Amino acid sequence: MGNEAIARGALEAGVNVAAAYPGTPSSEVIENLAAVAKERNLYVEWSTNEKVAVEVAAAASFSGLRSMCVMKQNGVNVASDFLLHLTASGTRGGIVLVSCEDPGALSSVNEGESRYFARMLEMPLLEPADFQEAKDLTKWAFELSEKIHNIVMLRSVTRMSHASGNVVCGKLPNKIPQARFVYDGPLTDPLTGPVISTPVGLKHKLQQEKLKTAGKLFEKSPFNKYFGPPKPQFLIVTSSACFLYSREALSMLNLQKRVGILKLGCTWPLPEKLLKKYLRLTKNIMIVEEVLPFMEENIKVLAASYPKEIGVKSFYGKIDGTFPSVGELNPDVVAEALAKIMKVKYKTLPASYAQELRKVAAVIPPRDQTFCPGCPHRASFWNINAALKLDGREGFVCGDIGCYAMAALTPAIGFHTVRTLHSMGSGTGLASGFAKLDMFGFEKPVLSVCGDSTFYHAVIPALINAQHNKADITFIVLDNAGTAMTGFQPHPGLTMSAVGETVPAVDIGKICAAIGAKVEVSDPFDLETTTKKLNALLEEKGNPKVLILKQICALSPEKKGKKQYEVKVNEELCLGEDCGCNRLCTRIFRCPALTWDKAKKKAVVDEVICAGCGFCAAICPQGAIIKKEVVAS
Amino acid sequence: MAKRLSSQKLLKNNVLDAQLCTGCGACVSLCPYQAIYNDRTVQLHYCDLTDGKCHAYCPRTPTDFESLRELLFDTKDLTPEIGAVKAYYLTRAADSEIRSVAQHGGTVTALMELALNEGMIDAAIVSSGNQEYLRYGTVAADKNTLCKNAGVKFTVSPMAAAFNQFTRHEKGNAGVVAAPCQALALAKMKLNQDKNEAKRINQLQFVIGLYCGWALSAEKFSELLAKKYIRMDAIRRMDIPAGKNILELHTANGIREIPLDEAQACTREACNYCIDSTAEYADVSVGAARFAGTTEEQRGWNQLIVRTRKGIELIDLAAKKGFLEIKDAPQESLRDLKKAALEKKKTALANITRKSGSAKNLLYLDNRDVLLRRILGV
Repeated sequence: MGNEAIARGALEAGVNVAAAYPGTPSSEVIENLAAVAKERNLYVEWSTNEKVAVEVAAAASFSGLRSMCVMKQNGVNVASDFLLHLTASGTRGGIVLVSCEDPGALSSVNEGESRYFARMLEMPLLEPADFQEAKDLTKWAFELSEKIHNIVMLRSVTRMSHASGNVVCGKLPNKIPQARFVYDGPLTDPLTGPVISTPVGLKHKLQQEKLKTAGKLFEKSPFNKYFGPPKPQFLIVTSSACFLYSREALSMLNLQKRVGILKLGCTWPLPEKLLKKYLRLTKNIMIVEEVLPFMEENIKVLAASYPKEIGVKSFYGKIDGTFPSVGELNPDVVAEALAKIMKVKYKTLPASYAQELRKVAAVIPPRDQTFCPGCPHRASFWNINAALKLDGREGFVCGDIGCYAMAALTPAIGFHTVRTLHSMGSGTGLASGFAKLDMFGFEKPVLSVCGDSTFYHAVIPALINAQHNKADITFIVLDNAGTAMTGFQPHPGLTMSAVGETVPAVDIGKICAAIGAKVEVSDPFDLETTTKKLNALLEEKGNPKVLILKQICALSPEKKGKKQYEVKVNEELCLGEDCGCNRLCTRIFRCPALTWDKAKKKAVVDEVICAGCGFCAAICPQGAIIKKEVVAS
Repeated sequence: MAKRLSSQKLLKNNVLDAQLCTGCGACVSLCPYQAIYNDRTVQLHYCDLTDGKCHAYCPRTPTDFESLRELLFDTKDLTPEIGAVKAYYLTRAADSEIRSVAQHGGTVTALMELALNEGMIDAAIVSSGNQEYLRYGTVAADKNTLCKNAGVKFTVSPMAAAFNQFTRHEKGNAGVVAAPCQALALAKMKLNQDKNEAKRINQLQFVIGLYCGWALSAEKFSELLAKKYIRMDAIRRMDIPAGKNILELHTANGIREIPLDEAQACTREACNYCIDSTAEYADVSVGAARFAGTTEEQRGWNQLIVRTRKGIELIDLAAKKGFLEIKDAPQESLRDLKKAALEKKKTALANITRKSGSAKNLLYLDNRDVLLRRILGV
């Protein structure tokens, strides 16, 4: 797996400290490092958020150690304020920021692109193009960072991080360095003085020189490589997984002898001399990259800067519409675009294949994105909907990032309660803003939700804002005891660290109470109590009110698949289509473990996938869903 | 082909959003989609069924009044002003204990006690004064509970929901005390031909209707009370003493008075479009024996209209067993009642026409209805 290769590269570089906030597709890097933390004498942590992760890693670098921080694309946005100052102050021990990005937003609510941060914050950017490179470039990134005394960014994508390939491993170093933070030198010496971003003029100048040094090293880097004939008719410039797509496209079209590929592993700053050399070879240049036309823009600026050396080119890329401006690429998309330009025949799959595919697709049952069987979020949103409907003032929920974001992505499973969804922590900030619109005639009650991990990540400032500015919001913490969406990484609310040590838990309720909010706790599986509490909070006017809905995730390793209840439908009590319930359990509640027996026209519990939460027993108007407590044997 | 709107959507468009909902609860406790909360009828989830019972039983959806009257009454008893009249009396409870807790003559409480004692019913579904029970009525099975819940409530108790709730859980027979809109809802249930439904609806033995001029919106009324620093839960009894134009609130700290026009400003919007002040679709209807020319002697009595055969049986039994004192009502009493009822009908019809914007569109009523045409004077 690409993320394993990145972790291995870090180990081979002798990384000492690694910090991260989980986020798909990045999480496995830290998980792999955590697994060998003891053995390799590493400090590994799940940080509260990405900004803190970079800060923790930077402290190690300032002390002469090698460190790494890992995040998904939008994590770089969170970390960017610190990064702006860090790239100016410079670093000491090798430090690498790994950003695993998600073109096509397979498991994100954005198609963020962090490569622009490298240009904007003036730090070097590396992009591995296969699994071996994922390891080797990571290792080299540490060396580069130490050479230029600045942080280096390494960008991966889902198809690199989550795909697998062969990697030849290198040796693991065996020295335990001593952490030493030197700060007695002059203010103007970043290596012995205090580590600060001022004097700004001096440090900024230094930073730019470092970048130039990186650019020079890039000219000779083996990670930038040309594949193809000496005199190609057409040149592809590409990086990352797009290199693999481009190679496959060439072989599909049998164009290897006519088209060359310049694969860049170092994409900012551009290795100018190298590019000049290859751009000269042909008139037609195609840039293959995902998300935004980062390389394309930079290459065009380069070509415009050196017209005599490079000549007039025809560029094909995202800007002229050769490639779609959103979504992932794949070999087919590249081949199709290339075939059109090169006027060669591109044989897509035969029509009969498509027909067969449609036939097969027709028998596959449609699968909506949904909450798992026994998911406490389904119960929580059921409660929220009931409370909002009973309240009757058309209140709504500002959503946040976690599994519960699905309540916004697939409105039916959130029972149409969630109406906004943005970045982590923003739900409560938005709610705080909505609540202050009362002076403009805005009267709807405003709720926000967030998960436990998200609470620590970015919600606390928003809650303080609501409290201090007397924003009348009802804030619900969907506390399922873990960072469930990314694979149960521990967070500050738990007593376990990334490497399995016992650590103190930070209590959400106490934080909210200390801020001054009224705090209630309820079990979302207790329908009556929860709805009652929520309605009482909604009716209370004034400051923020907090309801913590505590129920462990159905998939949590802590549950070990144990059922609290055996749940069955009593077929005699279930009136099926005669009930008047209009299949509430399978049409509206839609727990995947509840199915509709078309022959019998009655509800059935799928015992295999039922998690035994027993919540559905409370919603059946006929009392036909029977739950029986499982006695531990 | 245009898709038929679901019953739930029709209810929402034509009743709830149109502010015609009386809060009777006929659409509640039949399914998990409708609920009553703080005096409001609430739709919890989307239901796509057509021909739903929620729509069929609602007193503010179109009704086949002709069939309904045929089913319940003798045609010869029908009057345009106050519906079917078999007999008309002044009555009061024989039991002085009941009279002491009653608003007027204690007739309703006495009749319910009788029905329970005689085994006609297993439960009397009466309005509860308890604010906690805004969502339901109360099921009384003995005199004590009956007496505790005696007295007029000026806000709505969803009695039809209470009946639905009762039949969902209990097998026994019930008598229901109902406001006019609620009596109509319960009557509409009897038109349902479905076998399972019929079994449930047959648990309803009789309906004692209450005269009703208007009901207070709990929301508006509690706002008014809050302004006057009166706690809703401190109110033990309410009354409108004759000729004083005030609403009396009996609280633990003595009697508080609210000018009647202030209280009436809190009237439920739906009440403005109601043409029934005497609970025309009940088996018997009961009100205060108060009209112009009320003598001191008549204070403490009820007027009672007997409408159906079942009503006759009940009153005959009450007389025989000595539960009610019954006397003939003076003729002017009936005349005054009809006059007042007609006034209410005309005002409501004018309001309906204003709301719909056309005399041809009477919302939930039918302008081809024979009795209505006589009132409309066409």
